Amino acid sequence: MDNINKLKAVAQIKWICISRNTAIMIGPLLTVAMVWMVKILYSINSGGDLSPILVSLILSLGISLNLCMDGFLMVGTAIAEEKEKHTLRVLMTSSVTGMQYFIGSILFPFVLMNIINIVVLVISGISMSQVSVVAFLLVSAVASLISCVMGMIVGLCAKNQMNANLISYPLMIVFMMIPMFGNLSEKLHHISGFLFTGVLTEMASGFAEGMSYTLKPLDIAVLIGELIISILVFLVLYRRNGYEKD
Amino acid sequence: MEQNVLLDLSHISKRYKTELALKDINITLHKGEILGFLGPSGAGKTTTIKIITGQLRQTSGEAKILDTDTVNIDESIYEKIGVVSDQSGIYEKMTVWQNLSMFAKIWRVPSVRVEEVLHQVELYEHRKKPAGKLSRGQTQRLVLARAVLHKPRILFLDEPTSGLDPSTAVSIHKMLLGLKEEGMSIFLTTHNMEEATKLCDRVALLYQGKIVECGSPKELCLKYNQNKKYHLLLNNQEEVVLEQSPQNIAKISEWMQRDEIQCIHSCEPTLEHVFLQVTGASLGLASM
Repeated sequence: MDNINKLKAVAQIKWICISRNTAIMIGPLLTVAMVWMVKILYSINSGGDLSPILVSLILSLGISLNLCMDGFLMVGTAIAEEKEKHTLRVLMTSSVTGMQYFIGSILFPFVLMNIINIVVLVISGISMSQVSVVAFLLVSAVASLISCVMGMIVGLCAKNQMNANLISYPLMIVFMMIPMFGNLSEKLHHISGFLFTGVLTEMASGFAEGMSYTLKPLDIAVLIGELIISILVFLVLYRRNGYEKD
Repeated sequence: MEQNVLLDLSHISKRYKTELALKDINITLHKGEILGFLGPSGAGKTTTIKIITGQLRQTSGEAKILDTDTVNIDESIYEKIGVVSDQSGIYEKMTVWQNLSMFAKIWRVPSVRVEEVLHQVELYEHRKKPAGKLSRGQTQRLVLARAVLHKPRILFLDEPTSGLDPSTAVSIHKMLLGLKEEGMSIFLTTHNMEEATKLCDRVALLYQGKIVECGSPKELCLKYNQNKKYHLLLNNQEEVVLEQSPQNIAKISEWMQRDEIQCIHSCEPTLEHVFLQVTGASLGLASM
């Protein structure tokens, strides 16, 4: 009960801090706005009827943008903001454990990312009868979790919000751009298959093209492998310096 | 550990790569006592607090807090102690009330206590204000309110009045003396000797990582009062400072008999003078 109370308090603090930080909250809004605008532009260009390949492109854009911008930036920048404003140490010297801080920090971004993924799916123009919702939610949840853990790594390494953005950019180039442009190049498409963002965008593209999508062993290995690797990297960094280096 | 000893540092040393930051620190803190750790910047005051509160591991020696070796403490220790550092931040986007109520949830403190503490630090009227809009003095009072919200047994204060205006510093001093009255033990680091003299039951003078002197402020000042002097203001508005000698005693006695003295004070050294005498460096220059 005590642990739950502390976890709730940390999650509430994070919710207030993130939801009132315009620089962070622009991410999810931008994702939805971009998907909506690109859909309108594609509709105009294609005479009002979106082909499956265009829906697939819209989905790749929205999902990659959401997983990277909201995960890396939202989680990472929020921790960096706490370091910058000297509230992280206050929280860590108030009997909150590292694990409670970890879960409390990713709870809101995790839920938001999954909601945005569903919103992206709905507004992309895909026929929902083509979507296996359970499979999508499951893969979306794992991908969002990986993204949150990577955001925590960004937060651990960053000294301030600006620094968090800088650290996020290379990650965004790899995990956002490659799946986003995977449809345009065979090589990129191949690499995208080894990224957690690529697994989800590939799944959504499959739905858009009317294929009954099943997770391949490689997809499962990528999701589990990248989740384990990100958690291990986080733990190594955390054990070395904690959330904040002295 | 003696029953009313809440903190016991024994031969604590801390080395950062090649630099020895703390050397053989021995000190105790008793229940209801204010202990001042005095020294210039870089003397090792913050390092000591970090070791005691489990944020840093000592290189050697033993530190016990509330009967537990600091090597074995975990997060639960923070339910019994309060920490205020010169860099303790607040959640600027939250209101004053939210800043305290979040921590009240963490410590399972009823909201009536939040109200009580806000009255105590005179911030109740500002409870709905975003904390980011408070003045520096108000912010420091909020930080202090948060640290005492769960009625800790020991309060660690690292330069609590640094950079504050005199009236805010005075109101914080008043609050600290009130907390002491309630039985709270306070470990205070400062480089302000006047503050230490006013608040502390005992002070430890820290210089280059070593305690060079320890005792009550009065005790220390009297111990180093080797050249006794008297400051006099005469009726003709002349001010004189006389050393204690048979001739000067006779002179003072004569002025007294003729009622020529308006006021007379003995000139004991201040803690600053004691520090200077012990270390050969003043507080301002010691860190340079």
